Amino acid sequence: MKPAAFDYHRPTSRSEALALLADHGGDAKPLAGGQSLIPAMNFRLAMPAVLVDLNAITDLSYITRQGSDLRIGAMTRHRAVERSEDVRVAAPLVHEAMPFIAHVAIRTRGTIGGSLAHADPAAELPAVMIALDARIRVENVQGSREVPAADFFTGLFSTALESGELVTEIAIPAAQADGSRTGTAFEEFSRRHGDFALAGVAARVAVDGSGRCTLARIALFGVGDRPMLASTCARLLEGQTPSTDNIRAAAAAAARDDIDPTSDIHASSRYRRHLAGVLTRRALERAFARAHTEAVRP
Amino acid sequence: MNLSGTFAFAGPRATVWALLHDPTVLAKALPGTKTLTLAGPGRYEGAMKVSIGPLTAAEFAVVVTLSDETEPSHFAMQIDGKGGVGFARGGATVDLADDANGGTVMTYASDIQIGGRIAAVGQRLVESVGRMMMKQALDALNAELRTRMQAGS
Repeated sequence: MKPAAFDYHRPTSRSEALALLADHGGDAKPLAGGQSLIPAMNFRLAMPAVLVDLNAITDLSYITRQGSDLRIGAMTRHRAVERSEDVRVAAPLVHEAMPFIAHVAIRTRGTIGGSLAHADPAAELPAVMIALDARIRVENVQGSREVPAADFFTGLFSTALESGELVTEIAIPAAQADGSRTGTAFEEFSRRHGDFALAGVAARVAVDGSGRCTLARIALFGVGDRPMLASTCARLLEGQTPSTDNIRAAAAAAARDDIDPTSDIHASSRYRRHLAGVLTRRALERAFARAHTEAVRP
Repeated sequence: MNLSGTFAFAGPRATVWALLHDPTVLAKALPGTKTLTLAGPGRYEGAMKVSIGPLTAAEFAVVVTLSDETEPSHFAMQIDGKGGVGFARGGATVDLADDANGGTVMTYASDIQIGGRIAAVGQRLVESVGRMMMKQALDALNAELRTRMQAGS
């Protein structure tokens, strides 16, 4: 349970960190909260030659409202996000998902940027960011770019991050500006609290003044090699007035057509598929109920 | 881990059969293959390096033994991989059939046991990795097949 030898750098600024990542290329790994990387290193499943510790960089940890966006610095700890009033108000889906992320001790150390960059297929935040149409800012020594969450996760532990790039910020758009009302809901099932999810879903829906669904963004996790956007499910909801039957059919479509879960000792593919359908139905019911009761924002 | 499915190759059965038995082609198609040689009749030996995202590549020494061969429609394989982080052991069957458009439909089924440290830590990921490698390998074989067909026509 000891890692292989590695070089260690602790830059105090973003530019210094980016320069180190550029110098060392694929040999270097940024260290954020270390709640996945350090265990992997201790098991010697990960053996980076160089660690670039981001914990001494103070300007990567913040939560701010900027225009219609909620902006969260990549090194912001899960626990800070969980307890933030700005997050609770502007991104209730994130707030609702936070307690499902491992345990308090892990959330105290783990970071939002680390979780997204790690891209575990059973992680909560990647799916939440897809459901919210969040944008992930990545930087390297040359400059920065924003990647829509839906394009960021490319496979098992794989992202759109290039060598030398670092996740620096997550921008979450606030509620719909077109006057429609938004509701979100999060559901997850695991055998014990804090375990990797057997299946989970993050849902965001919007309804117009007549109660018709104008938008449905449903992202499932734990049921594929990456978070899956349930587009078949969304097509059955958008343009329709949500009803018990309509939601039931859409949730069934998500489980049938939008995912292809794998089997392991924890759960069979068939069980995961069933679970995904049930959780999607529950999440949609709650999300629509919330959209209907949401006060129209000033 | 049970990996099974079908795959449509864009070329005739005899060519697909030949590709599936050519160590040079297989070495290029199978992700992470460092070496692959024909060690005896129906016996292939090689070394593979499997890496998943940030995880450092795990090296495996692999022996694949073919059996039950009925050219050009069926063969079975015994797969035996050993590495520092664990082992993979199991069997697979491959069936080839003509399709209506001059292509070939491959039907495959496998049952592979994974053990050791990799299974203890990464059990929930094993099937995803298997699927990913299978897809990459089949797509690469199909690309090679297309190249050969164009070169031949």
